[in-house]
Parts: sequence; structure tokens; C-alpha cells
Amino acid sequence: MAFNRPLLRTSYEQDAAIFPSYTQKGMAAVFGVVLVLMGLGAPYISAVPEFFLGATWINPITNMLPLAIAALGINILVGVTGQVSLGHAFFMGVGAYTAVALGGNGDEWQACVPFHEEIGLLEERGQCGLGLPIWVWLPFSGAVAAAVGILVSPAAMKVRGLYLAIVTVGLVFIGLHLGRMFPEYAGDFESGRKWPTLDFKLWKEETPLIEFTEDGTWFGLIHLSEEQKQYFLLMALLGGFILLAKNLVRSRTGRALQAIRDRDIAAEVMGVPEFQYKRLGFAISSFYAGIGGALWGSYLGRRSPVDWSLFLSVDFIAIILIGGAGTIAGTMLGAVFVELTPEVVKHRTEWLAEQIDASNIFTPVANFLLTTGESGDFGPINIGTVAPGWTMSVFQWNFVIYGVLIVIFLIFEPLGLYGIWIKIRNYWKRWPFSY
Amino acid sequence: MRRLKVLLALLLALSMLAAACGGDDDSSGSDDGGSDSSDDGGGDDGDDDGGDSGGDDGGDTGGEIATDYGVDAENKIIYVGLNADLTGPFASLVAEIVAAQEVYWEVFNANGGYQGWTVEPVVLDSGYQTDIGIQNYETLAQESSDGVLMITENTGSPITAAIAEQAAEDNVLVIPLSWASLWPDPTFGSAILEKQTTYCVEAMNGVEWLAGKVESEGLDPALAIIGRPGEYGEDGSVGAALAAEELGIPVVYDGTGAVAGDDRSAVIAELVSSGATMVWVTLTPGELLDIFGNSVSQGLQAYWSGSSPSFNYLVHMPSDFAAEFSEYYFQSQYQAPWATPGIAGMEDLIAAMVEARPELNISDVFTTGWIEGIMAETLIRAAIDQGDLTRANMVAISQDSSFSVDFKGLSANQSWPADYNEAVVRSSWIYDVDATKFNLIPLGDYTPENPGSTGLIPIEQDYTGSVAENYVFDGPCIEASG
Amino acid sequence: MITAVLQFAQVGAGATLIQTLVKALALGSVYVLIALGFVIIFKATQVLNFAAGALSMAGAMFMTILISDGGFPLLPFANPLAPAEGETAGIVLFFVHVLIALALAAILGLVIERVAIRPMVGQPLFAMAVITLGIEIAIRPFNLDATALEGRQLGVPWGANSWDWGGAVVPKSYLVAVIVAAIAGVSVLFFFRTKLGVAMRAVAFDQEAAMAQGINVGRVFAIAWAMGTALAALGAIVYGMAPFPPGGSVSQEIHPLLALRVLPVIVLGGLDSVAGAIYGGLIIATAEVFAGQYLSQWNSTLGSGYSTIVPYLVMLFMLLVKPYGLFGTPEIRRV
Repeated sequence: MAFNRPLLRTSYEQDAAIFPSYTQKGMAAVFGVVLVLMGLGAPYISAVPEFFLGATWINPITNMLPLAIAALGINILVGVTGQVSLGHAFFMGVGAYTAVALGGNGDEWQACVPFHEEIGLLEERGQCGLGLPIWVWLPFSGAVAAAVGILVSPAAMKVRGLYLAIVTVGLVFIGLHLGRMFPEYAGDFESGRKWPTLDFKLWKEETPLIEFTEDGTWFGLIHLSEEQKQYFLLMALLGGFILLAKNLVRSRTGRALQAIRDRDIAAEVMGVPEFQYKRLGFAISSFYAGIGGALWGSYLGRRSPVDWSLFLSVDFIAIILIGGAGTIAGTMLGAVFVELTPEVVKHRTEWLAEQIDASNIFTPVANFLLTTGESGDFGPINIGTVAPGWTMSVFQWNFVIYGVLIVIFLIFEPLGLYGIWIKIRNYWKRWPFSY
Repeated sequence: MRRLKVLLALLLALSMLAAACGGDDDSSGSDDGGSDSSDDGGGDDGDDDGGDSGGDDGGDTGGEIATDYGVDAENKIIYVGLNADLTGPFASLVAEIVAAQEVYWEVFNANGGYQGWTVEPVVLDSGYQTDIGIQNYETLAQESSDGVLMITENTGSPITAAIAEQAAEDNVLVIPLSWASLWPDPTFGSAILEKQTTYCVEAMNGVEWLAGKVESEGLDPALAIIGRPGEYGEDGSVGAALAAEELGIPVVYDGTGAVAGDDRSAVIAELVSSGATMVWVTLTPGELLDIFGNSVSQGLQAYWSGSSPSFNYLVHMPSDFAAEFSEYYFQSQYQAPWATPGIAGMEDLIAAMVEARPELNISDVFTTGWIEGIMAETLIRAAIDQGDLTRANMVAISQDSSFSVDFKGLSANQSWPADYNEAVVRSSWIYDVDATKFNLIPLGDYTPENPGSTGLIPIEQDYTGSVAENYVFDGPCIEASG
Repeated sequence: MITAVLQFAQVGAGATLIQTLVKALALGSVYVLIALGFVIIFKATQVLNFAAGALSMAGAMFMTILISDGGFPLLPFANPLAPAEGETAGIVLFFVHVLIALALAAILGLVIERVAIRPMVGQPLFAMAVITLGIEIAIRPFNLDATALEGRQLGVPWGANSWDWGGAVVPKSYLVAVIVAAIAGVSVLFFFRTKLGVAMRAVAFDQEAAMAQGINVGRVFAIAWAMGTALAALGAIVYGMAPFPPGGSVSQEIHPLLALRVLPVIVLGGLDSVAGAIYGGLIIATAEVFAGQYLSQWNSTLGSGYSTIVPYLVMLFMLLVKPYGLFGTPEIRRV
């Protein structure tokens, strides 16, 4: 059975398996090993991200991992259940603030003195936080976000399609306002507050059981930097949540959610209770969002209320559309693509800027594309500090590229990166025959 | 089977490609990479042993200078980083500040640097977004030859707060482009080198001066305070409230943190009906324009002043309320604006800027970039004198009580003793706004007879009111949120 | 000066009411204009235009480039009509410039329809909406790059001058906003009675049937996008010239978010209803402005800036009662 014809299924179990063939199993294992070796900084393997992202490549990649976890959630809501939501940032915020309320500063419940009560006497200002360890706040951040998702779902049930998208936009704005209203939870509106670290503590002891915020040696064998430790932790968590999502999608629940996506009334006629499953879809999606938000805040160390904005939600829609809605592999591809492309563009532009003086084959390209803002030096990308005319910095061009990519993918490849992968795979499967 | 082979072939091809590219990068970086590895031991452990280690590669080129990251000892180049907002909400201001600092280093290098050492600024754009600012910080702080020695400008309180602890851990000294008074707070570690007057002290001086102005016009002082939410607004509002308490001025309206979102009608309504005769604001220029314009239209007669970033001549001078601003608004600052006569530092600045950037318009904030340059240069000179250009030593020098910086009249000279009460800068500058004098010219058109004007007429220079003078700071005016 | 005219009059309760009412009307006019842009595009092409924010701001930017810089956007020509530097245009010339800016905005709308929307005909509604999100993201940096921190002047002839109506201060711009919106609204209503307008309604009703009747659906799409973009741009220009933040400028702080504030309006009125856009705009603006004015003593409890979320709260409440808005067409659900 090992290498029989592709797509030949002899049982339902086989059809629903995570990796239907040994080839896929093998590939997944190889991929996992590559990720680990990459994190360890193995030669040649880590040269790939270094080429694209520069010497500090581990930072953008680790930063992407919590967002990838949250993206799994939006995939379940939008890709699998078919409910368009622009409110993912709100649910991420809910999870993140649950984490900070449970795990935040201090070892006892800090007095919550509202900011503006007594001007000039702000010594007592403190943020609420219980200082609990990660194994408490992480599950709770997911659970609370899921609960809020369930709470919101009756309102979301009332409306459909684009109306739902707009309602969820409203959620994001209400969330932003709540961040302003409760600085004792959210911290300053601009600089925010400190999130609990990723360190694993048993309770509130001084030295954590497993440290993730200091360089150190694991198992007395491997010396790991702080960045590497966080990379491995978040990668492991992402792996776990991918399995969870995969199992959910291939189960009875997953099939019910897909039935609702394809035609909700038809699903109801067939005995799938629409309301219950839509609510479940919201809850699961918010759970992932909450976990992702909590980990993201914890990884970055400090977040402010403005960070949970509509743009973050739009990022997630872009992730599943560019990656390929409805599939987990596509979601991951999308997360990598959306979150890392700007970094790649930035890094390669810096590299290009160095070629101006190097006088090699890239120099004319660099001279054409880049400008330092001196008079007589034209180019659309401004690498100087003062922009002449309409030239823009790499940072702004990145937004333009991002927007244009969304348009291009939707027009030319609605199935996203995953669709492109399938096409390539099918081409090679049939090669050298075209049918 | 065939599929597997094809995939393997593909993987092999990919890895070869990667190896080729990686090899390319390696070879270009290897010459300075070698010096790093020999220095690692000395730099990591801090300043104590920094002096005696790592002299091996610097030895043959230039004396006994210890280095770790961000210094090219072979070519005697020091890299400094700027984590600046070049595309976000403060882009137009920050771009000018960055330009001034770049010119500062160009002049420094053109004059031969210091003992043969030159300085190269590395500018990264944060767009005022915290996560990008953090990524930029990681790039600047990386412990390799690509890192920088110190960060000579870090735009904005949010990003500075976000990187502060990590900077302390990495021993990367940071000069913030933010005047909030919370940087000496222990929460933010020891690596943030606060410069100039804080918003809090500025408000104390501003309110005291404004009270005198109101009395001289025959009105009774009654203060209204308006601030944005967040540390910037609160810092200013706290200073204003403290000054009012000390001077016995009634606070008739306290709008600290009341300005959020873009509907300020509630604030305006309460302000107009409060009967205030003096208003202290800590806002953005757009917010000030809205609140000032609407309150004046609705009949509020009061004299206004506010923290330096609240007023921006580029926004307010062309607006419909230029005449009212000239009449009622007084600008407070912590440094000398463009072409203030009789200041040695200003003459250097003008000469250099006119020469190097004739296409830019005149600006008041060039001074800020210049001041950052002076601070960094003073630090670097001290470090070279000590023979220790390690990151840890930069932090150590900045914490040394004997270290001080002379701004040549551009701003109040500053030193950083451990006691906050001694370290705090207590003077500020106060200007009259005059739209008729406003004359924005390109630097290329500058002549000593026609220096251009940003419309600010000096009233008080280096002014210290009695409140700021005598106030005993047992810490910053506002506390950090942990 | 203004202050001398007013003699520092203490504003009375009645005057406050008038002031608030006029402000609500003016803000409502802005909302109506942008909402009409949304509705026309949605009616004809079934696309929820998330790019309205960037497109409307681009229109306002065109206006500032025409009148303040004396040039044409992205083109190296001088604008022969522009007032001399340092001077403000007369009222007639100002509105001529508004019309040119709207024409340019309409061309931008045509280009976008041709490049990004036309290839997507027949795709799911959601995919079309996300395309507009992509357009929004791609255009926004150009706007922000051009506005910069200090904003751009619109060169409004009447500036921030206002009338004094028995103690109530009414900026002239507010009245202009109302008049402009009224003219635009009536024009749109009349447009739907012209041949082209009837064609658009037919397309909205059933695309295939309309095609079968010989209606050029592509042309209807193009016209809808041109009109929608121009109306949104007009909204942004009116918002810039009315002193919501005074000074008659296009600002980086406010303009990019303007269209998002109109989303509750179109949900309240119904995505495909012109009358709904008008009623919705006025209702939402009234709720927002009155809440901002009369609940201000509870500012510290409600959180500063509470009035900006009033539209969303009204929208959420309305949706629970009427899921397709006041005048929207309910979707008929079939298996």
C-alpha cells in the first residue's frame, strides 16, 4: 500500500488521515528536521533565511509564529466555516489582556487606581496583574477569548456576509475604545504595558523552571541564545496547534462547519444545527486568536492598545487569501508570505543600497531604483532621509507591494499559494504527459 | 517513486543555491568577522575586563582601544544607529532631525574625526510602529560586526519604552527622541540617556510665565489643563498641575487624557464654559489647532501655551487661525530655534546645514539632531580617551557623575548624576508667535541678512521659574507602567 | 477679530443646541456624501468598497495639489487656473477646482474598475471586497507620503469665518457642507431617473437580464465606480474644508479613517439604498455629535473619545433589530 496510485483511497480512515501517504509523512519529517536545524543555526540550512532576512533572521521569523497561531483561527472561521470576520484583532486583544491581567506584574493583585482620578498624585498608579505563570495564563487567554466569541456570536448570527464583516469592524473599534477606558489593564495608550515573559514557572518562584528570556544551556548539551529558545518554544506550540486544527477539520465537527460554509441552509436541512456550529466556529477561532495574541504580546514584551487595530485584522484576511483559504498548509504559507515579505524586501533593499558603491552588475539596478534624495538622483525608492517629490521609503513601498499582491492573487490565483503548489505538484505528477 | 526523486532533486538544487548565496555573504563578511570572535570574551562580561582584552586587532592600527560591536577597528569606523520615524506621523519633523544629525557626522568626519576615528550613522525607519521599531532595534543591537555602538536617536516614547529593558540588558546606550520624564525610572533600566528639559518641567516654567503674562494683562489667573492620554500628555499635565498648586492658581478645568479620537467637542464645550484665562496644553499640533480654533471662535479669551511638540509652525502658521495664534499663543521649547543670534552652537549648525543640505527648508528641529550629535560625540571622545569603545563602557561613561555635555548655548548644558533631583534640567525657552514674521526659505537662500524665520520671537531664553527652581524631585513626575 | 465680534459672549443653552444641530447636519452631510459613494458602487457592482478611505483621501489630495501647489497630480504641468502663491481662490474658482479634482478622482475610479474589478466579475462578493482592501492598502502610502505631518491646505476662500446667530457660532463651512451635500444628493436621485440611471438600476436588479436587454453592463460598472469615487472624494473635500478640525486642510490623522466611520451609516441605511444612505448619515451624525456635546460631563466614566464609537453602538443595536438595515434589501435564502 505504500506507494500505490496517488489519490486512491480504500477507506474513510485513509481519506481523513493527516498524511495520506508515506511520501507526505517523510516530507513532513524532513521539514521538521530542517526547521530544528535552522533554529540551531546549522550551516547551509540557516544560510537560506539569512540570505532573505539578514543576520537577525530569527527575530522576524519568531515574531511571525504567534501570528501564525492566530491565523489558524481565522482559517477555521473564514476558510472552513465561511463567516467573514474582520474582528480577529479584537479577539487577539481579548486573549492578550487576559494574559496580562493574570500574568502581569507583581505577585499579588495590584490596586487598580484609575489614571485620572488625582492629577499630580500618580504614585499609586498600578496595573492590575496577578503574576501567575504561563501554564495558567496561556490556557485562560484562549478560553476567555473563546467565551467572548460565544458572547458575540448571537449578534453575528443575525447578520450575514458583508454585513457581518462590517459588524466585526465595529468590534475592533469598540475594543480600541475599551483599551482607552481601562488603562489599569491596558497601560498607557501609547507605550502600553509590560507582558508576562514566556518563562515557564511552576508558581511564582524567582528562578523559572525553564528560562526563555536568558541565554543558557539546555540539557547540559546545547548552548542556546534567548532568541533561539523562544523560536523553539513558539515553533513547538505552533506545531501542536496545527495538529489540533488539522484534527478538528477532519473530524465530524470540521465536516459540519464546511457544510455550513458551502450552503448554510442546505446544511441545516441535512440536520447540521446552523446556529450551534456557527457559534462553535466563532469560539474556536477566538480561542486561537486569544492564544496567538497572548503569545505575541509576551514575545514582544510590551504592547499598547493601538496595536490591536483593524490593520492587524486585515493582515489575517490577507494571510488566508494569499495562502489559500480553507487549508492549513495554505494558512501557514500565507503567514510566512505576508509577515516575512516586507522583511525580505527591506533586507534586500539594504543589500542593493550597498551595491551602489560596489560597482558590479547590480549597480545600474541600484542606481535606477534607489535615490538618496540628492538633486539629480532619481529613483522610486528613497533611501535617504529627505524625500524629494513622490519617492517613498522601502517601508511605504512595502505597503504598496502588499496591497498589490492581494489584488494580484485574488485576480489570478484565487486559491492562493496553496493553489500554486497544487498546480506544480500536479504538473510533476503527470510529467512528461500533460494529461 | 518518481515523485520522490523529483522532489529530492529539487531539494538538492535548492540547498545548493542556498549554499552558494550563503557562501557569498560569508566571504564578504569574513574580514571583519574575524575580529569579532576574538573580542567576544571581553565585550560580553562588561566594562571591567573590557580594557585589557581585545586589544589584539586594534593594536597594530591605532593604540590600545578595546572594542566589541559596532566598531570597525581596522578602518577606525564607529557605527551609530538611528531608529527613526521617517514615514509615520512624525516623519516630516524626524526627517529634519535625522538630516541634521547626519550633517553633524559629515562635518565631524570631514574634520578628521577624533584621533582618526570616524562615525557612520545607520538610519532605520520605524514608521512609528512599535513592532517594527523593536525589529529595528534588534538589527542595530545585534552582537556582530553589523551592529552599532550606540543608538543616537530613538523616535518616540512607545518604541523607547518597548526597547528600554532589552537595551539595558544588551548594554546599548540609547538617546531617546522623547522628553517624557519617565526614562530614569528603574523599570526602564539604565541605558536610556534622557536629554533636555522634560515635559513636566517645561510645563512648570510655562505655567509660571503664563501666569505673569495673564496678570500683566489685568486678568485673574485661572488655569485650564488639556492633555492627550498617555505619558506625553500626562507628564505635561502633571507639571502644570504641580505649578498651579505651588503658585496658588485655581485649576478650573482639567482635561488630562480627555483628548482622544477625533471629536473634541466635549473638551471644547467644557473649556469654553470654564472661564479659564490661561490654558496649558500637551497635545499634537492637529489637536491643538482644533481645540484652539474652536474655543477662540466660541469666545474663550485666554492666553495659551503648551509643551513644545503641541505647536508646529508648519501646521499653525498657514492655518486660518494664524492671527489668533500670534495674539494668544506662546511657544515653549527646550532649545534655541533657527537662527537665534548670539549662540556659538547655532552658528556652527547654520554654516554646516547651509553647506550640506541647501535643498531643505529652514527648521527649528535641526537643533535637536545637532544636540544628539554633540551628546554622542562627547561620549565617543570620552570612550576613546579611556581606550575602551565597548558598548558597556558607553553606558558606564553616561552614568559617570563627572560626565557632562556642553551644548554651546543650543540647550542647557547637562550632566547625569545619580540623584534625579540634581540631574533634572530646569530651564526652558519661551517664544512669542508672530505669523507676520513667518518666512520659510530653503537653506540655499540663507544669508545672514535674510536668515528666514519660523515665526518665533524669543521672549525668555534659558528661563527657570521659581517652581521649577525649588521643586524637589524625588523621582520623575509620572511613573512608568510596569 | 472674531473674539471682538463675539464680545466673549457666554454661550447659552439655546445657542449650544443650535450650534450642535448645525454641526450634526454638517457632519451628516459628509457622511451622506461618502455613503452615497458606497451605495452607488454596491448597487451597480455588488462590491463593498473598502478602498473608499484611500480613494476619497486621494481626491482631497488632488484638490490640494491643484489649488495649493498649482500643479496636476503626478504630472509636470502647471495648473493655469491656480491662484497666485500666497493668495486664496475666489469662491467660483474654488468650486471649479473642486470639480476638476472630482473629475480626476472619477478617472482614478475608472482605472481601478478596469484593472482590478472588471476581471473579478462573477467572483464571490467577499473576494471582491477584499480586492478593494488591497487597493486601499496600496494607495494609502501615496496619500500619507504626500500629506506629511502638517497636512495640506485646501485654500478655502471663506476660511474659518463664522456667523453669530444669537450667540451660536456657526462656521460658514458647515452651511457649505450642507448645501454641497444637498446638491449632490438631489443630483444622484435625478441621475437614477435618466436613461443611464435606469440602466444601472436594471443591472443592480439582475445583471444577466439587463445584459439580455442590451444594456452595456461594463459601461454601467465603469460609471458607477467613477461616480462612487467622485462622491467619496467630495465627502473628503467637504470634511477638510469644514472646520471639524479647523484650518481647511487634509490631515493624515483623520482623513484615512473617515470612510471607516461611514461603514455604520451604510449598514444602518442598507448597503443598496440611496434613501438609506441619506437617512443613515443624518441619524448617525446626530447621535455622534449630540453624544459628544451632551454626555461630556461623563467623559471620565465613558472614556475620552467615547463619541467616536457611538456610530458603531448604534449600528450594532440596529442590526439586532433589522439585520439588513432600515432600507436594505433582505437576501432571499434558497437551498
